[in-house]
Amino acid sequence: MRNIYKLLSVCLVFTVVSCNDAIEIDQPGRLGADNAFQSVGDLKSGLLGAYNFLDTTSDIGYTAAVTDESFRGRDNGGQNSNTQNFNINSNSGYAFNIWSGNYGAINMANRIIAAAETLDRAENPDLYDHVVGQAYAIRAFSHFTILTFFSTDYTNDAALAGLLLTEPTSDIFASVARGTNGEFYTQITADLNAAASLINGTDADTSGNKFMGQDFITALRARMAAYRGQYAAADGFAASLLMNYPIANQAQYFSMYDDADFTEVIFSLERNRGDSYDGQGTAGGGWAGSLFAFIDATAGGGPFMEISRSTFNIMNGTADIRLPRAVNLADSSIDAGYVTNPNFLNDDVLIVQKYPGSDSQPLMNDLKVFRSAEMLLIRAEAAADANQLGVAAGFIKELRDARFGSPQPLPAYTSQTEAFGGILDERRLELLFEGHRWVDLKRLGNRGNRAIDRDAKECSLLAGCTLGNDDFRFTLPIPLTETTANSAAEQNPGY
Amino acid sequence: MKLKLTWLMTLFMAFVMQFSYAQEKTVTGTVTSEADGLPLPGVSIIVKGTSRGVQTDFDGNYSIKASANETLVFSYVGNKTVERLVGSNSTISVAMAEDLGVLDEVVIEAYRTSTAEKSNIASTTITAKTVEARPNASFAQTLQGQVAGLNITTGNGQPGGDSTINLRGVSSLSGNTEPLFIIDGVPVDEDNFRSLNPNDIESLSVLKDAGATAIYGNRGANGVVLIKTRRGSYNSGLKINYIGTTAFSTLQNHDYNLMNSREQLQLEKDFGSGFGATLSDAELAIRAQQTNTDWLDVFFGTGLTQSHTLNLASGGENINSFTSFGYTDQEGILKKASTLKRFNFRSNISGKSSNDKFNYATSFTLNYSESNEPNSIGSGAINRNFVLGANQSVPYISPASYIPGEGGNIPVVFANTPLFLLDRLDTYTRREDEIKIIANVNASYKITDNLTFRTSFGGDFTDEQLLRVESPISFNAQLFAATGDNTPGFSDQDSRRSVALNFNNSLTWSKVFADKHSLEVSLFTEYFKAHRRSFGFRQLGFDPATFSPGDGAAFVNDNANDDNYVDTGRAVVRDAGLFSYFGFVDYDYDSKYGFSATVRRDASYRFSASNRWGTFWSVAGRWNISNEAFMEDSIFDQLKLRASYGTTGNQRIVAVAGQFAYFAAPDLTEDFFNTGGQYGGVNGLTQGQIGNNDLKWETIVQANIGLDFALIDNRLRGSFDVYQRNTEDLFINTPISPALNGGVTGLNANVGELQNSGFDVELHYDLFKSREEDGLNVTLNLVGNYNKQEIISLGAGGDQPLIRRVGGVIGELFVAPYMGVNPANGNLLYLDINGNLTEDLTTADQRATGKNVFPDYQGSFGFDADYKNFFFTTQFNYTIGVDRSDFDLQGFLDPTAIGQFRHSRDILRAWSQPGDITDIPSLNATNASDEFLSDRNIRESDYLRLRFIQFGYNVPKKVLDKIGFTSLRAFVSGENLVTWSKWRGFDAEALGASQNGYPTPKTYSVGIEFGF
Repeated sequence: MRNIYKLLSVCLVFTVVSCNDAIEIDQPGRLGADNAFQSVGDLKSGLLGAYNFLDTTSDIGYTAAVTDESFRGRDNGGQNSNTQNFNINSNSGYAFNIWSGNYGAINMANRIIAAAETLDRAENPDLYDHVVGQAYAIRAFSHFTILTFFSTDYTNDAALAGLLLTEPTSDIFASVARGTNGEFYTQITADLNAAASLINGTDADTSGNKFMGQDFITALRARMAAYRGQYAAADGFAASLLMNYPIANQAQYFSMYDDADFTEVIFSLERNRGDSYDGQGTAGGGWAGSLFAFIDATAGGGPFMEISRSTFNIMNGTADIRLPRAVNLADSSIDAGYVTNPNFLNDDVLIVQKYPGSDSQPLMNDLKVFRSAEMLLIRAEAAADANQLGVAAGFIKELRDARFGSPQPLPAYTSQTEAFGGILDERRLELLFEGHRWVDLKRLGNRGNRAIDRDAKECSLLAGCTLGNDDFRFTLPIPLTETTANSAAEQNPGY
Repeated sequence: MKLKLTWLMTLFMAFVMQFSYAQEKTVTGTVTSEADGLPLPGVSIIVKGTSRGVQTDFDGNYSIKASANETLVFSYVGNKTVERLVGSNSTISVAMAEDLGVLDEVVIEAYRTSTAEKSNIASTTITAKTVEARPNASFAQTLQGQVAGLNITTGNGQPGGDSTINLRGVSSLSGNTEPLFIIDGVPVDEDNFRSLNPNDIESLSVLKDAGATAIYGNRGANGVVLIKTRRGSYNSGLKINYIGTTAFSTLQNHDYNLMNSREQLQLEKDFGSGFGATLSDAELAIRAQQTNTDWLDVFFGTGLTQSHTLNLASGGENINSFTSFGYTDQEGILKKASTLKRFNFRSNISGKSSNDKFNYATSFTLNYSESNEPNSIGSGAINRNFVLGANQSVPYISPASYIPGEGGNIPVVFANTPLFLLDRLDTYTRREDEIKIIANVNASYKITDNLTFRTSFGGDFTDEQLLRVESPISFNAQLFAATGDNTPGFSDQDSRRSVALNFNNSLTWSKVFADKHSLEVSLFTEYFKAHRRSFGFRQLGFDPATFSPGDGAAFVNDNANDDNYVDTGRAVVRDAGLFSYFGFVDYDYDSKYGFSATVRRDASYRFSASNRWGTFWSVAGRWNISNEAFMEDSIFDQLKLRASYGTTGNQRIVAVAGQFAYFAAPDLTEDFFNTGGQYGGVNGLTQGQIGNNDLKWETIVQANIGLDFALIDNRLRGSFDVYQRNTEDLFINTPISPALNGGVTGLNANVGELQNSGFDVELHYDLFKSREEDGLNVTLNLVGNYNKQEIISLGAGGDQPLIRRVGGVIGELFVAPYMGVNPANGNLLYLDINGNLTEDLTTADQRATGKNVFPDYQGSFGFDADYKNFFFTTQFNYTIGVDRSDFDLQGFLDPTAIGQFRHSRDILRAWSQPGDITDIPSLNATNASDEFLSDRNIRESDYLRLRFIQFGYNVPKKVLDKIGFTSLRAFVSGENLVTWSKWRGFDAEALGASQNGYPTPKTYSVGIEFGF
């Protein structure tokens, strides 16, 4: 009997003593937020994490689908049908991706900037400055991207942009109202100034045209000034970059999109095998080419978005290098009689190959963010804005000479409207599938008398051929997930 | 002194022994049935107060040694127990009366057993009879419709596939909603029963109300299913039993009215898209004549199942054992890609000391299974989802167009979908090999007559090896190969292991005072710990010359020229644990009134940093009205009123489908960062998880009032329960601003409240009850549940637009009404939020409908009949109030898929010119994509189904005696044979809206069972 009690007490003691190991468990492999940033090296790791949020495939995909850049391809199984039909609502995946990706980057940038204040700069002053400077640059770039897609009017400082965030969030359940464009511009300018004073290029891992250096800052300043209509400043920034970044010749231009030439590239987001974007877009990855085809940029690659006939027809038959770069002519089946062919969806296949792939991975390419051609076109805009129509025409000719590989006629603009129209037409070809067309029509469409211009045959299968440049759908809706959680975030008009 | 005492004892013992030997004699007799006078074999006769016992033979005869002052106890299942004093008799023959009340039926409760009369809880027990020999690989599928309030849906035809099991509604939005399953005292993974042999099960008890489940504390929130496996019995000879079944499964029918080759080609020609559009009328006619493939017949077929179980049971004086071997080989209806093969072994041993004070029992089962289980089912992947190929492939393509080994050359167009998939069938391997062990040892010792100590230690061990291999010559490998990669393909090999250990100790004190007051008090501690370990790798690149799935001979190594063969590894370590102590009190007065109470303190590793401990409790009471004097002459054989109230907890915050779910979301209280996320070829660091340091249990408060009854000579039996279950501190994925939180849109927090209320009813009525052995017996059965769901609160954030709302239901459909086709232009017409007709829907027009996929009413009815030696059983299941989207139908009516996929003939009714009045919009309707904001594709999925039907024959006893068998029966049965439903798809049962899912089959089976 006594033994039984012994046994019993042993059992009970065992269960009581050992209970803590059942309920106090630290899962392995966890890095607590408090311990994340302990050294300048950790700040650098955080910076790479912030870069990893930056992605422009949604900008490219949305712009291609909603404007006249693309039309559904032979192997389309419903992809982009809503966007092509101008059916855009607050559930739009594109709007959410642009919103959440940029705020992911802003969040990381804010954490780096805040954590840096708690660390000793003396540990490695050059790296410290270089990393923190890039955090400011990322914050500026992402705030500007948010403004670009979610503000109704870039030239109106009172219009709403997005949430202006400069500190890590302390209350995760908070509601915060949208800031105005004016507030955004002020902060972006301040961040770019801070970045310019800090970024020093001393760290090879985080320098070069895949990272935000001084030229990136200038390019962003140029674009922002142009969008705001502050053309004098824009022209100066653009001109200074063009001194170091010439316009590529035909061969350089072509291989730029194979990620083999960087003559024109001021800043691009690197896409490598094994990184977090390495995968098919329809399967959660981020290959830019998979915005257009499932497998590769060939006839058997499953093209589900093709270049639109209206854009193709402009270049068809010319020596413009941008045609063979944009379209895989060898693999396309081009039906000259597509207008009368009832089966043109199957017979007229125009395969996009602006993102043919790199590192032997089809469809995976770096994402071009700033190129010197855009700077040249900004200069043209500035000239047109200043009513220097001949100067504007000269810049356009300079670009066309390079793209055609031979001298092209000088455009003859008789009015500012014509000049802006000509610039828009050139931007349409030059920046095709790089995520610009929608923004360009929004900000310059009325000045240049241009609008979404779809081919009649194609738009017979769509809800509409065009959309007024002042239509509410030229501003993206604030994503439903934001307005649901953040009652202070006002929705854009029309949604 | 010590020595002397020992001697004294020995002498005394010897004296006693001699005395009893002197008095002992042999008593013989025959036991018969009072009803028909026939001999009863297998009646157990025990000398009261001892462990001496025998059983009657085939002729009802027995022989036992007993002394005059001893009493013989005769007991037989379903009969009243008889006691006879031996006295001077040497022959005692007994006629046993049927126990009409079956009042002493054992009721299995948490950590104890009780009787039907004295139980205070709401529970249902299912016996082996209704589980064994059914052709379902997982017993969960068989349980469907058999327990009031237990809603089981199997949306997957994979043999042994996981079922969704909900008791009395869905009690959580994001957390686990499935009951706790305990097999022989071991809590097991509720999502993985594929390796277990249903024929080993003796009984399944479903505990429903708080009175029954509160003692399981933080694991009892969704009810508890206690499973006991078979055991041997003491003092019985070797009994051998065999059950064998062979089953044939086929696809259930659909009602989509799909086009044949000619019609599909003509549609393409008329619409101007696809292969049909390239053909002349004559060519089209020839093609249609040559090729008309129904791809359903190509990918689906008849699945053959063979199952064998052999049991051996025997028992001696102090030990008994049960051993079983099982083998099952089951083919799913998805040919080749879906199979289950398993081997089962079980050994259950019980033993005791001669004085009955010490008892122990072990349960051990070792199972091995091999499954081929297709993935990507339900997805839109035309190169991976076999069901998509079966449903949607165009009929004008012939399977002969696929040349084995030439997959890489198939032209990539949608219409070739079936060829991609035929290639995948040929070249893709996805196999899961699993070892599953469930083992338990428990022991009890009666310290005094009133005090018993019990201990139970058990574990659930799973080892799964997953192999996924894409052959280098497959279509998929060739297609997605990097440029210049001539040896593509990949192999994923994962080893996943988990062990969950449970250790429970208790002390029980029970005593009867003054004959009428009985009291039982128990104290427990329980310790639970689980470990998960997994690792795996992905190899890229195979040399076709040495390729064999699972083997590494063909692996191509990384090289200096490219990154085509860079392999990746992965590994996971997770631990989980719980600790609890709890107590239980039960009081009974004269079998008339009863009261019980539980209280349990629980700690969970999940909340270690926030609210580690939770307390859960319950009270329950009963009144046995039929035991009152004033009820003596009533028609009621039994009438009992029960009531209970109490709380249970849910610590499984985030439900994850499939195995290993209890390791999910282990530390949501913490903020942490992740390493990884390369940029520029260098590893980065990013925010990983935003913690919620207020996290705690969901608490379910449940009230239950029930009535158990049996009347008219026990011919009508049943129970009726009403309940209300409120989930408080409801976990909700509370929206948080993605802008403020780095792109994260939600955080799990305890903010809301949810209510499920309804009733369970169970009725059995003996329509015919014969006193003759060969007479007709018919029992009608009805099982039903009504459940109403309502979200009471969503916390400060309030309604979440288009997701959920206060006053709404879980998974509510938010859609605008679809009003038909505009005769003027063929566009779709909808009602906007203001009730006006519109062609342009926006999300603002979507509105709450109160509809969801969970039924309001569900259950079953049927009958059991036997006549002479024939028996016949039916079970019809029904569900009412289920609405879900039929995206398969949407696909068959989608004009943008013309030229790519197959269509329904319904599309021929499409609007074509102004003035047409039809239900199918113009094929060029410009607002078709708005249909997803509307209810156009939402269909009622209510159904009535002949879930089970069985007909069989028991070989008569006279014949059996001659051939030396104790039992022999043969039967044919069918599962899911007929379904009546408005649902047009293959399977009205599945949950959710998935397109191209794997439907559950209908199955015919034949079986034989014999024992000797």
